[in-house]
Amino acid sequence: MPLSPLQRHEVALQVRHFELACLEGAKSGDIHGELHLAIGHEAVAAGMAGTLRVDDSVVSTHRNHGHALAKGVDSYRLMAEIFERATGLCGGFGGHMHIFDQHHNFSTTGIVGASLPVALGQAYAAMLDDVDSVAVAAVGDGGVNTGAFHETLNLAGALKLPFVVVVENNNWAISVPSETVSAAGPAERSAAYGVWQQRVDGTDAEIVGAAFGQAVDHARAGNGPAVLEATCARFRGHYEGDPQTYRSEDERRSLLDRDPIVLGRARLLANGTAADAELDAMEKAATDQAQALLVRVRQDPMPAMDRAFDHVFTTSNLKATT
Amino acid sequence: MTSTLLSRNINVSRCIAEGISQEMERDASIVVLGEDVGHQGGVFGATRGLQKTFGSDRVRDMPISEMAFTGMGVGLAMAGKRPIVEVMFVDFIGVCLEQIYNAAAKNHYMSGGTVRMPIVYKTAGGNIGSAAQHSQCLWGLFAHLPGLKVVAPWSPHDAKGLMAGAIRSDDPVVFIEHKGLLLKKTSDFAVGGDVPRDPYEVEIGTAAVVRTGTDITLVTISATVGQALTAAGQLAADGIDVEVIDLRSLVPLDTATVAKSVEATGRLLVVDEDYLGFGMSGEVITSVLEVVGPQALRGVARHGVDNVPIPAAKTLEDAVMPSVSSIADAARSLVSIS
Repeated sequence: MPLSPLQRHEVALQVRHFELACLEGAKSGDIHGELHLAIGHEAVAAGMAGTLRVDDSVVSTHRNHGHALAKGVDSYRLMAEIFERATGLCGGFGGHMHIFDQHHNFSTTGIVGASLPVALGQAYAAMLDDVDSVAVAAVGDGGVNTGAFHETLNLAGALKLPFVVVVENNNWAISVPSETVSAAGPAERSAAYGVWQQRVDGTDAEIVGAAFGQAVDHARAGNGPAVLEATCARFRGHYEGDPQTYRSEDERRSLLDRDPIVLGRARLLANGTAADAELDAMEKAATDQAQALLVRVRQDPMPAMDRAFDHVFTTSNLKATT
Repeated sequence: MTSTLLSRNINVSRCIAEGISQEMERDASIVVLGEDVGHQGGVFGATRGLQKTFGSDRVRDMPISEMAFTGMGVGLAMAGKRPIVEVMFVDFIGVCLEQIYNAAAKNHYMSGGTVRMPIVYKTAGGNIGSAAQHSQCLWGLFAHLPGLKVVAPWSPHDAKGLMAGAIRSDDPVVFIEHKGLLLKKTSDFAVGGDVPRDPYEVEIGTAAVVRTGTDITLVTISATVGQALTAAGQLAADGIDVEVIDLRSLVPLDTATVAKSVEATGRLLVVDEDYLGFGMSGEVITSVLEVVGPQALRGVARHGVDNVPIPAAKTLEDAVMPSVSSIADAARSLVSIS
């Protein structure tokens, strides 16, 4: 069942407040490496939520927390991994860019564009097994400029694989505006491969949800790959701590007009779906939930130092020179 | 006559194809992807007959999109398959190393041991006179990267058995065939030319002593094992008794077998068709020294491609590649000074 407008708004709020809790972790040094937050992208995750089955796979990017939550990954174990804790999804071996949840068929890669070939392999596995699972790769507009985008769309098109690409187009590849380095937009370039493609407003969870549903249905029905481009704004820097010297004050101010939480709330109020009090309560619940997770993961243990050589190989502690 | 039953004279690539075929027969999750692996059966014939036997879904010809299909191996493994992904020549790894070293090699570790990557990256390396971009070995490159097993067989027996071992491994394996060996016949091999028809596995991570000797331990891998054996034959006439060890894999590295030999001979020569710098020779020598201690060694030397691209002209190639005579010279030199 597709989510209701109110449910989608709730997911967007959960993602926003999850990200804000992670932001606190970066500031406190709990997260000691890079952190890439999806603040501004929440409506894309909220639009993806509720459509996929457990047997469908998602391969996401360095900016993956929203996609993970939308796929049903446990928020506590996700935050624990982001906070490098032994209780995390990967026991602290992965960190925020390398999230793996086999049960939910969710994984990520920190390398731009590298999500695409992995999802293509999962789509091929579905074809081999003659099941109607789909494989979704998330990328940004930067990832569209990798060779992997073109190699995978070509191959998925040729083999008619159940392969869905969600392009979160926030118009920035770190400091480089997309239009200055792209001959055409992601949707236009996808069209050249003869695949289903559509560009939508990625600040509107309803619009994303409808289009993502169509894309998944298209792929699941055996019609081959689909590309959904969702335009959105990256509110933070590429990473936390990014001085963003490449961004003008005008652009930063204009972001406020594209806040998916503000826009979503205004829509729900305007069409009478919800009242202020209900939305306030929903937001408070999302805040409380994220803050409770934050308190909990901060109490969790760090992985023991003597575990650092585990898992290089499946056989115990097999190192290259032993 | 039992010879027709016991021995057959087939080429090395057929041994490998037979090994893959028998594993695919046993395990339906095995899938082969690569350029020209299907209808043609591989440019060297190492996947011959597989598409006919197992169909084009399980043995799929790929476009020249290595980045896509090396990564498909990762996705297939996540989905519970056991992919064999062929990168035709190891030299081509430059366009797709990303998925091998950042995903296949690391996903088990990064996932805290929850994700397995039973992938074979099958490729062909080694010199065939095709110069800088088509005659490299590169096993040292892969061995440097944590999380990959690195296998390079010499004998036909090992080519089939190690392929079975690679396919059965739950860890990713880079399996580097030698272009110069794939079309050789089993009868061309003094050792290891008997290739049973039945399935068998050679365990990855064990070196083979292919010639016993008392004066010097010569350690190498892949095609130079054959050259080293020939050189050892010549040196025997000079009264130098060479023990030749075929490492068979760089990861895991069987340091124990080499160390045991070195403790007996007191001399270690590492011969490598790959680039010398920061590679197999330095690693083997250091690893053995860490076990036996410097006092156990009278002499140590290495001989390989001395950090120069492989040139095209035969005269230039001869100047940089190890050969039977250059290997014999290196051994003689080491024995004379130690």
